[in-house]
Amino acid sequence: MERTGAEILLNTLSEEGVSEIFGYPGASTLAIHDCINETGIRHLLVRHEQAAAHAADGYARATGKVGVCIATSGPGATNLVTGIATAYMDSTPMIALTGQVTTGLLGSDAFQETDIIGITMPITKHSFLVQDVRDMASTVREAINIATSGRPGPVVIDLPRDVLAARCNDDEEGGGGFLEQQEIHFGEEELRRLKQIARLLNESERPVLLVGGGVKLSQAFTELADVIQKGNIPFVTTMMGIGSVYTPNGFNLGLIGTHGTDLANRIVHQSDFILAVGARFSDRTTSVIEEFAPLATIAQIDVDPTSIGKNIKTDISVVSDIRVALQELLGLVTEKKREDWIDRIDRERERIAKEGSDDGCGPAGECIRMVQECMPEKTIAVTDVGLNQIWAIRSWKVKIPRGLITPGGLGTMGFSVPASMGARIGAIDHEVVVFTGDGGFFMNIQELATIGFYNIPVKIVVFNNGNLGMIRQIQHHFYNSRYRDSRLSDLVDITEIAKGFGIPSEKVAAEDPRKGIEKLCGSEGPFLLEVVVDENNYVYPIIPPGKSNVEMIYGRSE
Amino acid sequence: MKSEVKEHVISMLVNNRPGVLARVAGVFGRLGYNIESLCVAETISSKVSRITSVSKADPAFTEKVKKQLNRLVDVISVAELEDDTSAKREMMLIGITIDEKNRPELSRAITMFGCTVISMKDSYCILQVVGNRGDVETVLNFLTPLGVKDIARTGAVALESGA
Ligand SMILES: Cc1ncc(C[n+]2csc(CCOP(=O)(O)OP(=O)(O)O)c2C)c(N)n1
Repeated sequence: MERTGAEILLNTLSEEGVSEIFGYPGASTLAIHDCINETGIRHLLVRHEQAAAHAADGYARATGKVGVCIATSGPGATNLVTGIATAYMDSTPMIALTGQVTTGLLGSDAFQETDIIGITMPITKHSFLVQDVRDMASTVREAINIATSGRPGPVVIDLPRDVLAARCNDDEEGGGGFLEQQEIHFGEEELRRLKQIARLLNESERPVLLVGGGVKLSQAFTELADVIQKGNIPFVTTMMGIGSVYTPNGFNLGLIGTHGTDLANRIVHQSDFILAVGARFSDRTTSVIEEFAPLATIAQIDVDPTSIGKNIKTDISVVSDIRVALQELLGLVTEKKREDWIDRIDRERERIAKEGSDDGCGPAGECIRMVQECMPEKTIAVTDVGLNQIWAIRSWKVKIPRGLITPGGLGTMGFSVPASMGARIGAIDHEVVVFTGDGGFFMNIQELATIGFYNIPVKIVVFNNGNLGMIRQIQHHFYNSRYRDSRLSDLVDITEIAKGFGIPSEKVAAEDPRKGIEKLCGSEGPFLLEVVVDENNYVYPIIPPGKSNVEMIYGRSE
Repeated sequence: MKSEVKEHVISMLVNNRPGVLARVAGVFGRLGYNIESLCVAETISSKVSRITSVSKADPAFTEKVKKQLNRLVDVISVAELEDDTSAKREMMLIGITIDEKNRPELSRAITMFGCTVISMKDSYCILQVVGNRGDVETVLNFLTPLGVKDIARTGAVALESGA
């Protein structure tokens, strides 16, 4: 059978299980759009390519499957860059298809030519320029394999126009060029190291598990829960680790680091053994590295050798698929009550509860709790960046795997709305709620048109404080309350804008949101709830720059 | 800190494909390391190239660079080559003009160091020197006062020799 490059591309994607692509057309990708429906893949037309990348990212984070986006050559491709970088930082399996000028014109500054492979080199796991239609199928398979295996990440496939149009018979297709992906091998050496880790863990009196994003990526949800339950080991999560494990019995101490809870940071500080699982000890997690967990022996399990010992000196480590390692570890961990440690944590928890030092999310946090209460348990929360993100992370109790999606590594404002579209399309059985600030909302506001057009039933909560809230908080504490360039104003009527896009909308005050929340949760289709928040409502505790995890600020200084 | 800086030879096998060198070089650059010399060529398999790089760097260099290089899909293997378990050579081409004054010294040097004259046009000749870094630098130092016009050197090529 003879097919065009575009057909081979789409057929191969479809064979690999891809059913949705988020994108935006241009002259150089028209060959693909021309036959996309015939291949059984659904294309969702966004209103800006950045949103296509975030949507593919959200799709992947919500489902664990590879997310796919497409953009035309030149400006279309460069518009994907922020989305690709976001996916790279959080290790999302993603394929970005980009149009390219015909092979004969490559390097000639032709109309809408950009070297997207060069531009994205530091923010992709790998990239391909398909120069021969006979390599199309094998390249697509290889790209998906690379994007999803080991430590996942985004892969760019650059597609010259003539290669998409070229025809090729099945028997001419090169099977070749398939790179062996280094299998992550769990052998004797790994087992020896894991046994050593297990011994240290079993002997330790005050252990803490530090759960990172790698647990989600290797789908090790139940394995992790089993280890925690068996060993009675309290755990903290990094921002990316949120939503990896749910235990009802108080082992979850919450988020650690710059925006972490008082409880999590204090307990880690007192621990004598930390086992990091799929976490890279980013500066957001450890703050001042020299003062991080000063009493603890540190062990690390990660699939990516570059993550081990990158930021902190670890005492012992295993490079392994996290799921495999945790399965093994379960057999090695002894059942232990750890009554003293658990008691000590409970006392700390009571003290903190009494002092209210972890209640620093104000009315917005309460609002988020109310939204969660009236949404089904399987709801996925998607956050933007800023105060809204920390409020949501701290207030939303994640009860399902992949229950919270946040752009932790890059901190990309404008992520939440498009990512929620992808999440909702991918995880069909789950409701999706967005929490965003007004600043981040404006950054991809055009996607309300996409949501309206496809009637994607996402629930959007915009916390409108008329300011770049988190920036304002930093200026308050560390720039002597000089609020330069962080005021957005309240001149924009967000609910009217939503209505203009065909999305029903309500406005409420954060102190009295009940009615609005009921409408939000009761709506069939998409809904936007604007929640007006006082500009001086910040998030506490926070850790000042240059301070350790236990030198928190608990409230406003007047 | 300064005293810990030493020369590191990294030898890697990579897929012989477009763009691979840029990815490899990007790793060094992003980590803030300079490449002093670099040598790239096909191996016995035309699908695989060997890249040999030399950097002067601190002790953390090898671990960092190795880990990041291993992350690249096109990198097959990476190793640091140590002096006592590897053989290292480099080649230098030296352009020099011969005149009445330097002729005797020059011909003495050619014999003494075993240089090969690979080109001679009018009075401009190109000499080839092969050896370890110290060898080629000795020759260069000897010839410099005689009027060296230009040089080109390959940087180290190296192979593991076994312990
Ligand atoms: C694309 C981008 N630009 C700038 C920043 C820096 N930044 C971090 S938080 C923040 C303020 C966000 O304001 P808003 O979206 O209104 O949310 P709030 O903090 O008020 O909840 C800014 C500007 C960023 N993270 N991303």
